[in-house]
Amino acid sequence: MASPLEQFVNNVRTMSASGSFRELCDIIGKSDEVLQRNSAHLNTVLETLDIQQHSLGVLAVLVAKFSLPQGTNDIDKSTMFQQIHDFINNCNGEQVRFSPDLYANLCHLLTDHLVEIKQPIRGIEILKKAIRKIQLFDSQLTSIHADLCQLCLLSKCMKPSLEFLDTDVTGIGSELGGNNDSKHFLLYYYYGGMIYTAMKNYDRALYFFEVVVTVPAMVVSHIMLEAYKKYILVSYILHGKILPMPKYVSQVVCRFLKPLSVAYHELATSQHAAIKHRETFVRDKNMGLVNQVLGSMYKKNIQRLTKTFLTLSLSDVASRVQLSGPAQAESYILNMIEEGEIYAMINQKDGMVVFLDSPEKYASPETLCVLEQQMAACTKLHQYIQEMDEQIQVNPQYVKKSVGSHDEDIPATSQNSKTTYSM
Amino acid sequence: MFEMNTAEPMQVDVPLEDNENNETECYVVENPTLDLETYAASYTGFAKLYRLMFVADHCPPLRLEALKMAISHVMTTYNVSLYQTLHKKLAEAVASAGLPDVAVQMGSQDIPVLDTMWVESKTKKAAIKLEKLDTDLKNYKTNSIKESIRRGHDDLGDHYLDCGDLTSALKCYSRARDYCTSGKHIIMMCLNVVKVSVYLQNWAHVLNYVSKAEGTPDFNEVPGKDTNQSILTRLKCAAGLAELATKKYKSAAKHFLAASIDHCDYSELLSSNNVAVYGGLCALATFDRSELQKQVIVSSSFKLFLELEPQLRDIIFKFYESKYASCLRLLDEIRDNLLLDMYLAPHLNSLYMQIRNRALIQYFSPYLSADMRLMAAAFNRTVNALEDELMQLILDGQIQARIDSHNKILYAKDVDQRSTTFERSLSMGKEYQRRTSMLILRAAMLKNQIHVKNTGRDTGPQIGEAPGSSTSLTPRTFDTVPL
Repeated sequence: MASPLEQFVNNVRTMSASGSFRELCDIIGKSDEVLQRNSAHLNTVLETLDIQQHSLGVLAVLVAKFSLPQGTNDIDKSTMFQQIHDFINNCNGEQVRFSPDLYANLCHLLTDHLVEIKQPIRGIEILKKAIRKIQLFDSQLTSIHADLCQLCLLSKCMKPSLEFLDTDVTGIGSELGGNNDSKHFLLYYYYGGMIYTAMKNYDRALYFFEVVVTVPAMVVSHIMLEAYKKYILVSYILHGKILPMPKYVSQVVCRFLKPLSVAYHELATSQHAAIKHRETFVRDKNMGLVNQVLGSMYKKNIQRLTKTFLTLSLSDVASRVQLSGPAQAESYILNMIEEGEIYAMINQKDGMVVFLDSPEKYASPETLCVLEQQMAACTKLHQYIQEMDEQIQVNPQYVKKSVGSHDEDIPATSQNSKTTYSM
Repeated sequence: MFEMNTAEPMQVDVPLEDNENNETECYVVENPTLDLETYAASYTGFAKLYRLMFVADHCPPLRLEALKMAISHVMTTYNVSLYQTLHKKLAEAVASAGLPDVAVQMGSQDIPVLDTMWVESKTKKAAIKLEKLDTDLKNYKTNSIKESIRRGHDDLGDHYLDCGDLTSALKCYSRARDYCTSGKHIIMMCLNVVKVSVYLQNWAHVLNYVSKAEGTPDFNEVPGKDTNQSILTRLKCAAGLAELATKKYKSAAKHFLAASIDHCDYSELLSSNNVAVYGGLCALATFDRSELQKQVIVSSSFKLFLELEPQLRDIIFKFYESKYASCLRLLDEIRDNLLLDMYLAPHLNSLYMQIRNRALIQYFSPYLSADMRLMAAAFNRTVNALEDELMQLILDGQIQARIDSHNKILYAKDVDQRSTTFERSLSMGKEYQRRTSMLILRAAMLKNQIHVKNTGRDTGPQIGEAPGSSTSLTPRTFDTVPL
């Protein structure tokens, strides 16, 4: 009896054995329906396949099994976590890389499941492993990254994601691009920005939000809008003003984002905006950040004072920064001194603040070390750019295009060049 | 069709004027020491009308007088619509002046009444003249005598100008361009266009045509050195005015300084006094000490201009002698009169501010530390106000100093070049890394064709709705990060 299901199993076995994975991928793509229809027998199929040898087949079955609609829930979801866990631990990375789509899908399913049962922390380790398995190199971005960040955010356990976030992406997994939508790409940078914001690494957070907003766009995604709101807030905290967007932001983004985030823009101009638009901020769940912005504005103003004054009385500080009184000013300054944000001394006897210069003289070995590290990083980036440039230079398509325009002028010389090559 | 065309260039200008009104209308000059009669006498044509109207708008004490003079002048032209507007304004002024002021009541007796007869006859005459000029022009065109056609266009332009139809005048003048046969004609055409463009406050146009005139090949060979000089002065004045209006004070100053007093006869736009004031103030606001000395104080030609405005001359000299207190006091004294100048008024505040800042910077430049109390006395300010001003200047990086608010002393800041270099190179390195990694990421993004687009669904139910929208709830629900 050659039922379609058996045929599928046979195909998987023979092709896995002969190593023709590409063809297998095609077949798997077509047999989606077969698997869905025979959902009752999937467990038996799984038993006949070996995770290590028939990774692709197992993957297809698992995805089919767990992506069944909720209504026909005759499969026990409780074993799902264990099964996926085993699969990711034991599957053959080489094989799985032929179908990153399916692999990523499996991870999305797992993530959704964990989010649903509110145990996000359980998935973090598996997903980390999953990413490492599918990546071709460390700085490659996959759509699983977004899942990992989501779980980290939900479980309020940020550290595990940092090792991925801290590596600058230089390549992107094929399942993210092409015809698939950009959802996971946007989500990764959005979640990443949020994680960095939570870790108070605002510089990096701003970078991440900027990436989201600058993704080429034909239409504006809600993720972009939310990212833009946070971009504004983080920009306030970091620089005290909204940094201008780079020029390559898509036009449609410029046109729609600003009018949709008026409340956030107003925050820069008036102190009362926070109260006036409180509802908006609360609804967007950005109230915490808004409060941080308000705090940072005072700090920014105090930092400006250190640039212009040598001494200033506490009451003057309060009035210039629009704090309620000397006591509040004192506490702000005290905190800032302790955080190393300003260098100052408070003379409580006559209520004066003495602002000092930064004690950093750039003469210590540590500074030198930092400098060297920075320089090395810059050189590395520069080299990378050069490599990219070289790759483009030797790209046949590029060569054809750049030479193409001169084609008509040099029919004679082309012959010459041919002879030289032959020599 | 024709009217449509005329409306178009006007539309460009309307917001410009609106802006200026917004800036200027909020003040009122109460007690100027302006002699309206002599003031008006130094202008002709539209300059006179506009300036009188400006005075009327901003100076209630002079309103009636200014309007009356404007009306009597407008009677000599064909400008019927302006005549009617002026009358309307006059009626409003009389009504709002109210009873208490006896002088006004006295004046109200000889207020001219709206002469409908005049309006009608003028309108008719204007129409007849227009027709005549038009047929003349057509005749010239059939005979295709270039020189006559050019003159015909010019005459028509003059007539339109007389009627107050500035855009049509501008058109006629520019049309003459195709029939110019010599450099002289081109320059004449440019001057005409410049004049009308100034009236229309189309400053880009003004600069454009000034440079066109200056670029005319035989500009320097125009017969008669005197006419040449006078044309040059006119062009310089117009360019200066345009630069002033576009807030480029330094180049405005340079243009005005290039004017020559003996040939400054441009009553259609400005008087020699204007050149002196505009040039002097712009120079004061933007020139450094040596420039001021070389180009203004010892300049033989501009010295003569300054003689016309002794107060301004005193101000410049006081400034140069570092007597800032008296300099600033004198500046305040002439402020009211300057506010009645239609071209200068919108810029007066920023010019004054720049002059003041320049004075502050210059005052402090030779010192290592300065007592702020003495400084405040020198600038007619309280110590606290001075502190605020200085703070702004320090933040802008114009003064390298820091304030000791406790002892009220301003200390020059000794900048540690080494540290700042380190600081800057580190931040530059960070910036480079940020941008480069963004670039690499973007390259990867484009390579993989990642972009936000509408997937699947029908052509966007809502603009701005995108793939993320189906997931928009996902990020939102996770927004509550412990921050």
